[in-house]
Amino acid sequence: MSHGHLNERGYTMSKGSKSKLMRRCMMIMLCILVLGFGTTAFRLTQLTLYQGQELQQLASEQQLVDTAISARRGTIYDTNGKILAQSATVWKVVLSPNDFKNDNDRTIVSKGLSEILGIDQEDIFEKSKENSYYSVVKRQIESDERDKILKFIEKIEDENDITGVIDLLEDYKRYYPYNDFASSLIGFTGSDDQGLAGLEYQYNEELTGTPGRLVTAKNGKIELPFNYEQKVDAVDGNSLVLTIDETIQHIMEKYLKQGNVENKVHNRSVAVMMDVDTGAILGLAVEGGYDLNDPFTVSDKIAAAEISKLVGKKKEEAESEALSAQWKNKAVSDTYYPGSVFKIITASMALEENKVNDESRFTCTGSYTPVQGAAPINCHNTLGHGTQTFAQAICNSCNPAFMMIGASIGKEKFAEYFQAFGYSAPTGIDLPGEATGLFFNNITDLDLAIASFGQGISVTPIQMVTAISAVANGGDLLQPYVVKQIVDSNGNVVKSTDRIVKRQVVSKETCKKISEILEMNATEGSAKNGYVAGYRVAGKTGTSEKKYDVNDDGIDDYIASFCGFAPADDPKVCLLVYFDAPLGNNYYGSAVAAPVFAQIMNEVMPYLEVSAQYTDEEIKQMDTTANSYLGLSVEEAEQQVKSDGYTCVVKGDGDKVAAQLPAASTRIPQGGTVVLYTSLDEVSNSEVEVPDFSGLSLAEANMVAASYNLNISVVGVSGTSDGVVLLQSEAAGDTVSAGTVITLTFTTSSNYGNNAVM
Amino acid sequence: MDLLRSGVKRRKKQIDRQRRDVMSSDIMSDGFAVPIQDVTKRRLADKRPKSNHKKGKISKFRVGAGVDMPFLILILVLLVCGVIMMFSASYPIAFYGQGNSYYYLIRQGGYALLGIAIMFVVSFFNYEYFKKLSLIILGVGFASLIAVFFFPSDIHRWIDFGFFNIQASEIMKFAIILFLAHWGAYQHKKVNTFKYGALPPLIIFVLTAVLLYFEPHYSGIVIIAILTSLMVILYGGKIRWFVIIGSLLAAVVIFLAITGKLGYAMERLDGWGKALEYVDDQMWDQTFQTRNSLYAIGSGGLMGLGLGQSRQKYLYLPEPQNDFVFAIVVEELGLIGAVIVLILFALLIWRGFVIAMKARDRFGTLLAAGLTAQIGIQVVLNIFVITDWLPNTGISLPFFSYGGSSLIMILIQMGIILSISRTANMNKV
Repeated sequence: MSHGHLNERGYTMSKGSKSKLMRRCMMIMLCILVLGFGTTAFRLTQLTLYQGQELQQLASEQQLVDTAISARRGTIYDTNGKILAQSATVWKVVLSPNDFKNDNDRTIVSKGLSEILGIDQEDIFEKSKENSYYSVVKRQIESDERDKILKFIEKIEDENDITGVIDLLEDYKRYYPYNDFASSLIGFTGSDDQGLAGLEYQYNEELTGTPGRLVTAKNGKIELPFNYEQKVDAVDGNSLVLTIDETIQHIMEKYLKQGNVENKVHNRSVAVMMDVDTGAILGLAVEGGYDLNDPFTVSDKIAAAEISKLVGKKKEEAESEALSAQWKNKAVSDTYYPGSVFKIITASMALEENKVNDESRFTCTGSYTPVQGAAPINCHNTLGHGTQTFAQAICNSCNPAFMMIGASIGKEKFAEYFQAFGYSAPTGIDLPGEATGLFFNNITDLDLAIASFGQGISVTPIQMVTAISAVANGGDLLQPYVVKQIVDSNGNVVKSTDRIVKRQVVSKETCKKISEILEMNATEGSAKNGYVAGYRVAGKTGTSEKKYDVNDDGIDDYIASFCGFAPADDPKVCLLVYFDAPLGNNYYGSAVAAPVFAQIMNEVMPYLEVSAQYTDEEIKQMDTTANSYLGLSVEEAEQQVKSDGYTCVVKGDGDKVAAQLPAASTRIPQGGTVVLYTSLDEVSNSEVEVPDFSGLSLAEANMVAASYNLNISVVGVSGTSDGVVLLQSEAAGDTVSAGTVITLTFTTSSNYGNNAVM
Repeated sequence: MDLLRSGVKRRKKQIDRQRRDVMSSDIMSDGFAVPIQDVTKRRLADKRPKSNHKKGKISKFRVGAGVDMPFLILILVLLVCGVIMMFSASYPIAFYGQGNSYYYLIRQGGYALLGIAIMFVVSFFNYEYFKKLSLIILGVGFASLIAVFFFPSDIHRWIDFGFFNIQASEIMKFAIILFLAHWGAYQHKKVNTFKYGALPPLIIFVLTAVLLYFEPHYSGIVIIAILTSLMVILYGGKIRWFVIIGSLLAAVVIFLAITGKLGYAMERLDGWGKALEYVDDQMWDQTFQTRNSLYAIGSGGLMGLGLGQSRQKYLYLPEPQNDFVFAIVVEELGLIGAVIVLILFALLIWRGFVIAMKARDRFGTLLAAGLTAQIGIQVVLNIFVITDWLPNTGISLPFFSYGGSSLIMILIQMGIILSISRTANMNKV
């Protein structure tokens, strides 16, 4: 630093060292600016741009209180607007855990709520410790509990200075006004209002709507000085209008239940009614329904009793098994061997393919060997049906004849038609859990032979109704449906279902011919028990072997079914009734299912305003309506009763008619008995015990009824010579007033015993 | 001396000197106002880099009272931004904590005005007097570091004057920069020897570090270490000193860490960089402030939520007015706002170094560079802390963080730089 010089303050300023100093300054400045500021800028970019969304999400979670606003679930209506399922306002109890000041407050609140709601105090205490502003304690509380909680909130505010920790928010609860009515069809919802079964499940999205949100900003400890509130209104769910008619459904359920009890059916039973022109399901009844308001209780009392005997895991398993069986919709989820009902399909194939005609003859010797070397297969009539025409073969439900018809169709064509009739695929009905039919992988001649009369192939009840409806409506295979309209919360129709034709399976001519034969079958053939006076029913019975033994009595169990449609000349509805494993005296379709079919049709046809066409004989037997004889003198009344064509019986000593049975404007059979009472006391004094009509012919039943001063009304095949009473509306041994009308259901005598038609 | 002596005389003298310099040397000289014809001549005479001409232009900004105007304007802009953002960050906590939304604003605003006044006074003060004061101030620094132990508290960092608190390390930072600037200038021939160049700063640092260790104030030690090193580098220290001393200090730190004497710091280090990961309850609580800072920064995104729209300041981010004020700046103004603030700081630092390099003497250069570097280092370390790149220790953001004493300390230091800028282009003899 020789050339350096001293400045006035004594510091040496050397040029060389100064330049080095400047360089060092530059270096340090650049280090700070480039390295230091560069990295901070990089770090800030990383956090704001790359991790920004994630961090903002985390920040929002602690800053915002997100309250769900429940959307009202849509209503389910029957076809006429009757409410089948509806949501009503209830409340949910919500805690705001972050607003608790201390554990002492938590204890007070959890204790109080636990007493009101019957929930474990520990659980509520745990919830009150969560790091959130929203923790649901209990859903769907009703107004009485709500009132108690409101009082409790007031109390803790006054006494303990606890505020803002309990909230009551509007919620909705599902109500099913008809309880177990159409339960398999409607289904139910879970605690979160989500559909779990049936239509509630199938149309969950439509019904649910969109829950709204109320987002409010919260700070770490206290209310914000400004309001940040964003509300998104809930959009209520859409409503469903079903094709189901509550009246028809009720009729079906009533008779199905009756049939189920009488025939000691082991595996529940099903009835499905379809509008043959549109595919709309008018009624779908599965016996063994459960209370939709309490779906988690095993409704079958016997099963419930058995389960209650079990303990631990076995009990849980048994219970869940019983519940899933209870919730299952047997009409769409179960398959069965269709039995002789399938002969309608086989017959249609044969006609369509011109394999049979009026000249065709089929000889039945009681058994038939379809394949050389195989064991012969018996006809239900082991004596044989002799030589039959095609129509007779159907009416006799002759198995050998159908094995011959099946063979004439051939394996390939048979398989094609099986598929064409919609048995190989789900029908597409808007119900959950639909199963589909089963066919042979590689059909052999023997398979074909037994399939021709409905054994060895499985179908679902809904597939069967759909296929038979195709025969009824002139050959169109339709897609069945149960929801005809979806309506939004303002009443606007969002969606409506129309007739969906999948394909024309067989020609109109074929259908017409089959209908004629089936009508004949229902009047005189094996389906006589399904006959309904005045309505031209076409139908076919079916009895199929289940191939297993449900009650361990050493005999394979059966399925009894009946499928038919009416009126035969212009079919409106098709109905399938099917009992799975009847263990009573009878198991034949003609004895078990046909009467129930007849009873249902007998009520549904007038309800649908199908005009009746009675035969002369039927008109003779038809019930009329009783006139009023009240207030008349006994003599006058007696004269009038006789002139009206009834037998007259007078009870009491008075001279004026005080009461009469049957009452005015109620049904009375032609030539029935009118009992006139001169005082009201007489009505109870002249009670009679109901006789046992079972097994009697119509003439015999009339005689017995007359001797007891009772009237009988007739359902079923009473007109034919072999008709006998199967069911009576008032049980034998009950007491009724003289003149009461008792409905008798007739069956063919051949069915009454065990020698029945398959 | 007669620094404020003005007029034509000085000007003439200056030009003469410059001419002489130009003729006699090819080294870079500081910027100065030269008549254009001089420049032309000079260009013909030697091959001076063009940048000198530029520097001459910049010195035109030296108007008015003679301070460096860009530097002054940048200070005022940063201070106004800082007070506004501190207010925005603090009003919720002021409302809940003090019952008055303006609590921190009024105080910080008052200190800012007071600080500006002090800054101007200091800027008229001849910074060369600080040479004489440097030892005294160093003594005051040590005294205050000892004094803190007489104030009852778990952590001894503050000297409490009742109405006014001051952090002892703030005084010490200034004292060390001042002393080393003086030492580096005074002994500039000898500071390249270990005895003169390395030992005195090492002794001062070790004494300071020991006192801060007992406060405890570890981040203070780190900053003091950085500033001391910086000053030593500036006055021409050797890299090998740092290697030797650095490894010795590292050994000491490792020893302390192993023997568990660094409890408090180790605790802080535990949660470092893991603010978003849940390990256990204790650490989750410990990283609460850093985590909420990250939430705030992330919520800002590119554009920010808007001035005053921060949500994290609503009692989520603890003490948003202090060390973490910049997190609220990012939340409200976004990455763009943050980068603008960083650019303002960068300009301030650039300008500070320009003043340092133009300073009349070695002392002025070292002092201005040291004080400017301190601002830069605090900015960088503060942002590293709030973004979870450094453990959460008290490093405030100059001009932004709430705190009267530190703001006034900063403005005094800025006043000194302004004072240096007044003399930067004056007669250097």
